[in-house]
Amino acid sequence: MVATSKRNPLNLVPVFFTDPVGQFVGRLVSRRLKRELVGEVTEAFLVLLLRAMALMFYLSKGYRKNIEGFKGCFVLRTFDGFVYTSIIFEDGEMKVVEEERDDWDTRITFADAAALRGFMFSADRDILNAIFVGKVESEGNNNHMYKFGFLAQDLARRLGVLEAISP
Amino acid sequence: MAEITLEDLSLRDYGLTPRVSDLKDVYFKAIPEVCVERPRLLTRYYLDHGLFEKDRVSVLDKARAYRYILENRAHVVAHTRFCNDRMKREKFKDTSLFAGSTTSKFKGVPLYPEFLALQLWQELWTLTRRDSNPYFITDKEVEELNYIIFPHWMDRNIQELTRARCYRENFEKYGLEKQAPEMKVFEKLRYFITSKPKCISHTAPDFSRAVGEGLRGIIDDAESRGRDARDERQREFYAAVVEAMEGIIAYSRNLAGDAKKLAHRERDPARKKEFEAIAAIHQRVPEHPAETFREALTTVWICWTAIHLENPNVGLSLGRLDQVLYPAYRRDMDEGKLTIEEAVELLCCLWLKIGDHVPAVPAEGEKLFAGTGSNQAITIGGVDGRGRDAVNDLTYVMLRATELMMLRDPNLNARYYPGVNDEDYLKRICEANINTGATPALHNDKVVINTLVGKGETLEHARDYAVIGCVEPESNGRGYGHSAAILMNLTAILELALYDGKDRYSDRKTSISEETGDPTTFGSFEEFQRAFQAQMSWFIKQATALNNIFGRTHQDFQPTPILSSFFEGPMSKGQDLIMGGAVYNSSGVTVIGLADVADSLSAIQRVVFEEKAASFQELLDALGRNFEGYEALQKRLANPEKTPKYGNEDPAADANAAWLIEFLDGELGRIDNYRGGKYRLGFWTMTNHAGFGMITKATPNGRKDYENFASGITPVSGVTPSLTPALNSVAGLPARCIASGMALNLKYTPEAGEGMLDNFVATVSGYFDDLGGEREGGMEIQFNVTNRAMFEDAVARPEEYPELLVRVSGYTAYFKDLNPQMQKEIIDRTEYLLSTRRAVPYKPFPLPRKDG
Repeated sequence: MVATSKRNPLNLVPVFFTDPVGQFVGRLVSRRLKRELVGEVTEAFLVLLLRAMALMFYLSKGYRKNIEGFKGCFVLRTFDGFVYTSIIFEDGEMKVVEEERDDWDTRITFADAAALRGFMFSADRDILNAIFVGKVESEGNNNHMYKFGFLAQDLARRLGVLEAISP
Repeated sequence: MAEITLEDLSLRDYGLTPRVSDLKDVYFKAIPEVCVERPRLLTRYYLDHGLFEKDRVSVLDKARAYRYILENRAHVVAHTRFCNDRMKREKFKDTSLFAGSTTSKFKGVPLYPEFLALQLWQELWTLTRRDSNPYFITDKEVEELNYIIFPHWMDRNIQELTRARCYRENFEKYGLEKQAPEMKVFEKLRYFITSKPKCISHTAPDFSRAVGEGLRGIIDDAESRGRDARDERQREFYAAVVEAMEGIIAYSRNLAGDAKKLAHRERDPARKKEFEAIAAIHQRVPEHPAETFREALTTVWICWTAIHLENPNVGLSLGRLDQVLYPAYRRDMDEGKLTIEEAVELLCCLWLKIGDHVPAVPAEGEKLFAGTGSNQAITIGGVDGRGRDAVNDLTYVMLRATELMMLRDPNLNARYYPGVNDEDYLKRICEANINTGATPALHNDKVVINTLVGKGETLEHARDYAVIGCVEPESNGRGYGHSAAILMNLTAILELALYDGKDRYSDRKTSISEETGDPTTFGSFEEFQRAFQAQMSWFIKQATALNNIFGRTHQDFQPTPILSSFFEGPMSKGQDLIMGGAVYNSSGVTVIGLADVADSLSAIQRVVFEEKAASFQELLDALGRNFEGYEALQKRLANPEKTPKYGNEDPAADANAAWLIEFLDGELGRIDNYRGGKYRLGFWTMTNHAGFGMITKATPNGRKDYENFASGITPVSGVTPSLTPALNSVAGLPARCIASGMALNLKYTPEAGEGMLDNFVATVSGYFDDLGGEREGGMEIQFNVTNRAMFEDAVARPEEYPELLVRVSGYTAYFKDLNPQMQKEIIDRTEYLLSTRRAVPYKPFPLPRKDG
């Protein structure tokens, strides 16, 4: 059933975006990412997340400040080898390539989109369990992973959905 | 040997003064606030002095950085605001008799970016509203950490420096692999945890010298030794001691200056006088020898705050304070400068100060360590270096202050030497446990001292042991034991023996360790034991190897000049503690799951191999299905009348526990650590027996999926119906092998009348008794004396029980702060009625959930 209650915090999202640019981006990425963040997660989650990040970096000075002077390479991939994504931060920009780079600082291998979302966001965050049952494996510099986690949280905050995903 | 002059050992006429009562009220209302002052100053110093670019940060670099922090940090004489439970900062009047604080906040969360502070990065925006133990932080502080401070430490904290070291050192060995195998196993978190990325703590300095000679005395000594130093390294170390001590003196003088200003502005004559007194005290100490009891306490307190600026407080412990402070106390009392009431009030104020900070624990860490404080142990009683009764009047004053305050930190530990210490003293300790429900823990001097001597300590040094963190004994101010270096989950290692070294949890059945054979093909219990031994050896090798690598990173980047200044050894050797400067240099490994594994071995031995009631394959099938369809087998495995259980004086079951202890101690005792010492074995589990329990599937002792493990060295809950056999089983274990301490957790039903106290004393005496040498006797024991109904009510209405103190497995905690799994573990512990020495009927508590 689709939630239509006026009390649903998502209905208030466009009004209460914390960042004016975020508000704009929020409209652009529309309801789909928000649904991915707080509702049922699909295989499109990662693509939508990265697109929203890229757009926010492009449009929001505050968000862009997060990666000024930051150099790092993340590889996100699935255990079955179906998904390979490398995210490169350099010169204040984020680039995404559909290949597995060798020069990664952190590599996260996950079972499915739900596992990845659980690993990165608070609403269903269960990092320990994900590691214990082998749904997610992380390798390399943990601090890069924590920073990436902050970028994702900060995006959610700017989109005005942080409270919904971390009640 | 001090004469006891108190007429009433309980000191029941002395209660909380209005000052302490008000402060305590605010203390319990206050929500911890993240403090960014230390990381800000440290980062600035590192940037200004190019330390981020260095391949090695020397002890002198570090000392100068700490001096800079001490000279520039806020010097708070009296706090003006605390954070309330609505996450609003609220005004209050801080009338503490002590100035200064660990952080700039009333109740702070200090951050150490060189260790694991960056774990909080991803939850900075949600810290204030997380379910479990939230912290207050402002948006401005989040931005400062995110934009300015954390980025500098991304490749420079101990964890990542060690990872880089592993990569560098193992490149040829492991080709293009970015992770060393030891690090890979560690980061699976299921098998062992090494605490080195988090801290250099778990040790107890000795403040005798600081109190008796003042820091100026230590400076003079260091300067003199520096002039005669053999080489540059020694010279550098002594110069570092001077820098560090000057920093502490500067901080105290800054407090004195501020107190003077406050006195000048204050209109209330009484308060004005108090500020003047604080100013005068800080002008003198800790630079000069303490002349009064209050000055001695202030010296300890200011040095303590400085130690925390250097290292995260994880089990940093204050040592034998009743011994260190007694001369000043006695002098003041004899000269009529101090009353007992004043002494109690001073200690209550100090206890609150000691608890003025909480460790920074990320949300995920709360699952394993929820409710933990800093585990700052204080040791009282016991014997002195010559074996004489060391209990004095101050011992009892400290007991009274602890009883009145009922705080999580400090964690009071009482030493008792049967036949040397008075039985009235034992009675008083037991009484304090009944009154507080949880403290102090009790240590058997005779057993502990024999054990430490067995590990190479001199008799005099062993007699002068202090308790560290939870329960770990070490010669006070001489042994740097880092007793929590490694936490090892024995049940996970047992699983690898059951599944031939493969991961039981992953669908991919990946190999974790060595293949030790398919147990369904084993013809005897001994064959299974050998497989399990091989798995244990493999993990000990991995864990100790990794710990040593981390240790070498500490040596290159985290020397500890402040802590080293308060130890015997570094000053004579001219060598920092982490380089091996202490007199004793062990590392501790504490093991989780002893009772469950011992009972599992007994189950395999009896049910599979001796009685052949089930095949090994049937057992594995039953475990894989959480006993669904195998209910009869589960009942049999869990039933102490059908399957031997440790804790019932059953020779076969207790022998399996003893076999594990002796094997682990033997293996660990052969391995050198990075400081030239050996590894020591312990059994205290904090909250990890609940944390690891909730991620572990069914085990052969009949335990079902995700149920708690037994705590410390305690037998499994619900399988030991009688108290005396339970105590005898533990007292019969080879305590000589357990030099890093044990926690035996007992739960008693409160009973009315004097009879309970008498029975309490009798059971402790019986447990400690070595029966004329027939056995070693119990080493340690700790209690919860709270009835089940109160615990259940506290789960339902936590707001009604803010101060309900419980003994977890080692340290004390507030029941409301524990995670649901740990609350269940406390409630489910076997509860005995002392009048009958029988367990009250056992009924597992349904797992409580904080969200209802």
